[in-house]
Amino acid sequence: MYRYDEFDHEFVRARTRQFRGQVERRLKGTLTEDQFKPLRLMNGLYLQLHAYMLRVAIPYGTFNATQMRQLAMIADKYDRGYGHITTRQNIQFNWPELVDVPDILDDLADVEMHAIQTSGNCIRNVTSDPWAGAAADELEDPRATAELLRQWSSLHPEFTYLPRKFKIAVIASQKDRAVLKAHDIGIQIIKNDLDQIGYKIFVGGGLGRTPIIGKELVEFLPRIELLPYLEATMRVYNRYGRRDNKYKARIKILVTEMGIDAFKAEVDDEYSYLSPSDIAVSKDEIARITSYFAPPAFENLASSDADYERARRKNIDFARWAQNNVARHKVDGYAIVNISLKPIDGAPGDITSAQMRVVADLAEKYSFGEIRATHEQNLVLPYVKKSDLFALYMSLQDNALQADNIGLITDIICCPGMDYCALATARSIPVSQAIAERFSDPVRQQTIGEMKIKISGCINACGHHHVGHIGILGLEKAGVESYQIKLGGDGSETAAIGDVTGKGFSQDELIDAIERVVDLYLNNRNDNERFVDTYRRIGMGPFKEVLYDAA
Amino acid sequence: MSTLKHKGKGPQAITANGLRNGPVVYLDPNYQWSTSFDDALISEDPDIIEKMRHAGDAAENANLVVGVYFIDVSAETGLPVRYRERFRTNGPSYDPGTPPHDSFVPTFIGG
Repeated sequence: MYRYDEFDHEFVRARTRQFRGQVERRLKGTLTEDQFKPLRLMNGLYLQLHAYMLRVAIPYGTFNATQMRQLAMIADKYDRGYGHITTRQNIQFNWPELVDVPDILDDLADVEMHAIQTSGNCIRNVTSDPWAGAAADELEDPRATAELLRQWSSLHPEFTYLPRKFKIAVIASQKDRAVLKAHDIGIQIIKNDLDQIGYKIFVGGGLGRTPIIGKELVEFLPRIELLPYLEATMRVYNRYGRRDNKYKARIKILVTEMGIDAFKAEVDDEYSYLSPSDIAVSKDEIARITSYFAPPAFENLASSDADYERARRKNIDFARWAQNNVARHKVDGYAIVNISLKPIDGAPGDITSAQMRVVADLAEKYSFGEIRATHEQNLVLPYVKKSDLFALYMSLQDNALQADNIGLITDIICCPGMDYCALATARSIPVSQAIAERFSDPVRQQTIGEMKIKISGCINACGHHHVGHIGILGLEKAGVESYQIKLGGDGSETAAIGDVTGKGFSQDELIDAIERVVDLYLNNRNDNERFVDTYRRIGMGPFKEVLYDAA
Repeated sequence: MSTLKHKGKGPQAITANGLRNGPVVYLDPNYQWSTSFDDALISEDPDIIEKMRHAGDAAENANLVVGVYFIDVSAETGLPVRYRERFRTNGPSYDPGTPPHDSFVPTFIGG
């Protein structure tokens, strides 16, 4: 994985020193809150409903055992013994004190981490496929491109005060495991008819209060043109993106108002004035960055492992976990292990400091020290030998990390909601827990099959409810929490925004309502059809009926 | 220049977060800050509300608290009117932290 060079080290340390000074001035009163707020946000520090919250960047979701141990240390020393994996592959701490934050940032810098680009109207932490470097279906490791974008975008002077935040994701497979089309810019690494590798660019996607699926901006962009072309795109956004209304300031609004063709014409015009060679990175530099993502020293192994197959036959729990949580690797004899952070009674994405240390140990022992955070709020060990899977599973089981529900109905994306967030209008964690509880039977989960439930506690949609097969939006109606249901959303390569079913449900009614939706699906599906496919086939009508007429 | 205004109806309380440490705090009858809503000064008297406003401004200017605002309190229940504010008096309903929220005493320096 990427290691800091001298420049990175100095830049992160300098930023930490600068923030220490700013905190001192704030405490003395020489900076007012109005002056301080944008500065703290540039360093990932929010003021939430009950306390401060520090969001730490995990560039493209990749980190290592040493960094995970340091996060555990920070959770214990400065916070309340846990962290929360976010839908942008970052980790946040819910209870830091302002006076400690400079020390926390120093401790993060010790392990090449920081909280830059986790807030504010800049290009945010670039996200990617959590299986990058391991996925059987990838064209190449997308993290080399993601890292190039990180270096280009970090503190880019021209793009530090954009009209609004800006999110970029990169993938390198047909399967989309990064919700590409819900990003301001989505980059898909593809091959053209001439067998050249380049980029398909999507623009103007986003969730929030105005959900829009990204549109294709360029069908095939030659590799060398990536940065110059993105720079032209950013310039058009920076110039024409609205600054009069925060809720209309994202690039998706600009693209929608202009139309994709007019927007593209503007970008192409801007591009014609740029000197791509001034911006594009040399082949040597790309090779240098790519070398950081060279595959680890995989052994030559047979594709199947007899002990693993035997353990699957003998242990039904292990077999279920292997079926749901283990994915095919690009190297024979290896597997991708998804560690679910969705135990039935937990909050999606939460991990205790003790569990962080366990994952760090397991990564070192079984996965070349590497860990990934996923936008679905789980973790990944990307390089595990099949022959190690059973031992790994036993350790997970000893540490309450054995949830075997990846991609199933209890693998819910859920924002912190009103339990933690200052913007929330309703709670989301208890809803997620109640759904998980209702559908906790593993056989029933297996029967239902792939099901993406996503819950947001306000219209800002951090819980991705617009692209949930079943999306749930929590609102406050006359002093009571009320939950709107959306059906048919899709965050994958066939991205779609879900449809609202109708009026909302109380927390008590909601779980029964979800169950009626699921039962209707089970009674109507063809063979092993997924929920979302059944919905597409039979439409909203029958679901509306069971939701509103039966009640 | 103060931007702290009371626009609500009926009994009022004042809340904020501690600047150094971040906890939710309420202005108490001694015009000090408490981390418990049970201690909150609640009043409908315009003169007292004016004093509360001064105390809120002063604490913000003294870098003791951040984000001061008035909240409406129900005369019947003695609890905040808005759902969000009722919720905020208790802390999260799900809290994996150690110690658990019921026994967790947030630090507040000052007050």
